[in-house]
Amino acid sequence: MTNETENNVPEKTYSSFRYALGAVLAFFGISTRTHHAGKKRAKLVGDIVTYIVLLFGAFIMVYPFWWMLASSFAWTFTAYPEGSEMAINFSHIVWWPQITTINTNDTVPYGGAFYNYYVVLNVAFQTGAMSYLAPMGYWRVLLNNLLYSVVPVAVGVITSAAAAFSFAKINWVGRNKVFMFLLAAIMVPGPSIMTAQYVMYKSWGMAGDSGLALIIPGMFGSIMTAFFIRQFLFGLPTSIIEAAKIDGAGYFRIFCGFILPLAMPAIVAQGLLSFMGCWNNYLASYIFIDNDSQWINLPHAMFLVNQRYENSNIAPTIAASVLCVLPVLVLFACFQKMIIGSLMLTGSKE
Amino acid sequence: MEDQLNAAAGEAVVNDSVAVSEAVIPQKKKRKPINQQKLQDNIWGWAFCLPLIVGTVLFVYVALIIALLLSFTAFNTNSGGVWEYLGKLFGGDKSVFDMTAVGGKEYDPFYWYRFAFTENVWAGSKWQGSHFTDETYTQTYTMNAMGATLFNTVFYLIGIPIGMVLSMFFAVCMSRDIKGGNVFRVLYYIPCVASTIAIVYTFKILFKVDGLINNLLGTNLPWMMDVNEEYAWNPSIDTWWSQGMLTKTMIVIMAVWKGLGGTIILYVAGLSGVNASTKEAAQIDGANAWSIFWKVTMPDLYPVIFYNVVTAVIGGMQIYAEPELFFPTDTSIGPNLMTSGFVSLIWFHGIAKTPAYASQGAAYGMILAVIIFVLTLFQFWLDSRKKD
Repeated sequence: MTNETENNVPEKTYSSFRYALGAVLAFFGISTRTHHAGKKRAKLVGDIVTYIVLLFGAFIMVYPFWWMLASSFAWTFTAYPEGSEMAINFSHIVWWPQITTINTNDTVPYGGAFYNYYVVLNVAFQTGAMSYLAPMGYWRVLLNNLLYSVVPVAVGVITSAAAAFSFAKINWVGRNKVFMFLLAAIMVPGPSIMTAQYVMYKSWGMAGDSGLALIIPGMFGSIMTAFFIRQFLFGLPTSIIEAAKIDGAGYFRIFCGFILPLAMPAIVAQGLLSFMGCWNNYLASYIFIDNDSQWINLPHAMFLVNQRYENSNIAPTIAASVLCVLPVLVLFACFQKMIIGSLMLTGSKE
Repeated sequence: MEDQLNAAAGEAVVNDSVAVSEAVIPQKKKRKPINQQKLQDNIWGWAFCLPLIVGTVLFVYVALIIALLLSFTAFNTNSGGVWEYLGKLFGGDKSVFDMTAVGGKEYDPFYWYRFAFTENVWAGSKWQGSHFTDETYTQTYTMNAMGATLFNTVFYLIGIPIGMVLSMFFAVCMSRDIKGGNVFRVLYYIPCVASTIAIVYTFKILFKVDGLINNLLGTNLPWMMDVNEEYAWNPSIDTWWSQGMLTKTMIVIMAVWKGLGGTIILYVAGLSGVNASTKEAAQIDGANAWSIFWKVTMPDLYPVIFYNVVTAVIGGMQIYAEPELFFPTDTSIGPNLMTSGFVSLIWFHGIAKTPAYASQGAAYGMILAVIIFVLTLFQFWLDSRKKD
């Protein structure tokens, strides 16, 4: 008996503080020499810490959007008169704009709480320096943006899918060489050739006072899209195509009847990603389309509107930002499973 | 070859000669359908690819060749159509190389390249007025425009390692066996799909001197060095930081914030592909989570990380929209050399200023292409050295 107690002596040499610390650590799932923590406890604590970290990160990711939405409801007509420090800074807005200085004899303007949206839709994009967009204003720019992001993407995804089908499932002479030739084009940085593209498009009447520069090149398809759809098509069994061939179907019918429906998930996901890219594409419009053209797209017009309002009242810019982000976010919310799945499958980022 | 074989077979096995000859004849008949099939394959293969090939050749390769040719000439907005000009170039008309209008020699094909490296020194007096807020501060930098913008561009690349570490951290958190991991993935991806311009205008206000971020930190840092800002010049802050470093830091913060979600998804996909049995074996052998991460997970993730770094460097060298939207170029003076990326020079000289020398923009573009190519080659060289 005495021997055993003597053997246990080294364990007992820990100070009471050390014991207390060990107990606390064990409560939080960390095993020490004095206390052993259960695996379940360790997992629970780890999960809680993970949730806290992830929630904190998610808050940082989402908060600017909340701020954007909240600020777009700032009542600039009373609380922050145009040109005042308040209307430029918005620095007091944390969760929701304060509406404190409203007087009972203030006349609430058209639109009420949505006054800033009213300004965006009816004033900001069609008066003063922006009067060249006059009759339609914001709607004109929105239609332009839809045109630039629906037409090239819808056509381009189909041409890309056709190329992908040809690369994945048809054996033709020089296939791999052509594929490498196309892939090498990715190495050419876009900005390096943008001046040459500009003078080319200008000579064809596609740039300057025309939006064709944002439509026609996209309709020829994109190499990256073709590459990712090709990866997807490799996963489809070739036996379907062989069977269709034996039944006498030509390649065109195989493409329309089998490949397009079967590869629809990949095609739609890539199309949605390209749509979002085109919707947010500020650079192309800024380079190829003149500032005073009716054909500018939404981000480009927002840039010009911000230049106009920056020093008097920033609320319309914020409201326009909300309107610009909203459709993309709604699309993303609807198709998030497909988009994230496609991103994880292909390993692309955008 | 077949005939020889058949002949040999016929000689060796006389009894089977009839059977062999019968087998040969249908083979010869079959050849025609095979050729027909191959013809179909070739026709349709090319036909399906044709739009993409035409588009790529026309809008990338032809544009590249034109950019290369133009970069040796004096082509500008007053030179007329580009095709007539190229015709003059190929017709041996030496007037296309005449750079006397911009301060060069009469025959000076490499003028723009020389200009990029030597001229256009960033003198205080030249850039003061619209871009510097403090008139008493005298510029001591003697960097040319290309050096300054390249420095900015490389500074923005700092965001890549920061973003990598952060996204790896969050990706590991999300790959834990917890409920709602998918929700977080979606939430973190939201900034990636949102429009850059909307985010920039939000951040522009959040980062004002008396804006939310400064209130939160309890500071009054001039993140947005701006002429219209009365606090823009803050003497309590080191001049080096207030003359552009803080603004660049802010742009890095925004770029990291915006790009995080995409990289996280990439890493989550990579982490789900890590060999689970190797992990378990290491766990049974008594390895702790830290060493499992470094010894098992990281080597499996290496290809994903490498791909991510290569694409991020290529994309980062082409940064344009963020600095341009925060601090717009004054088209009568030039890009804001405190913040603008290299691409701003291409755009300003090639397209925006009057008269715009597309050839100068093209020359800057060629320099950028070479830099990106060399950087990519360097990374692949490092990769190959690691494997040895």
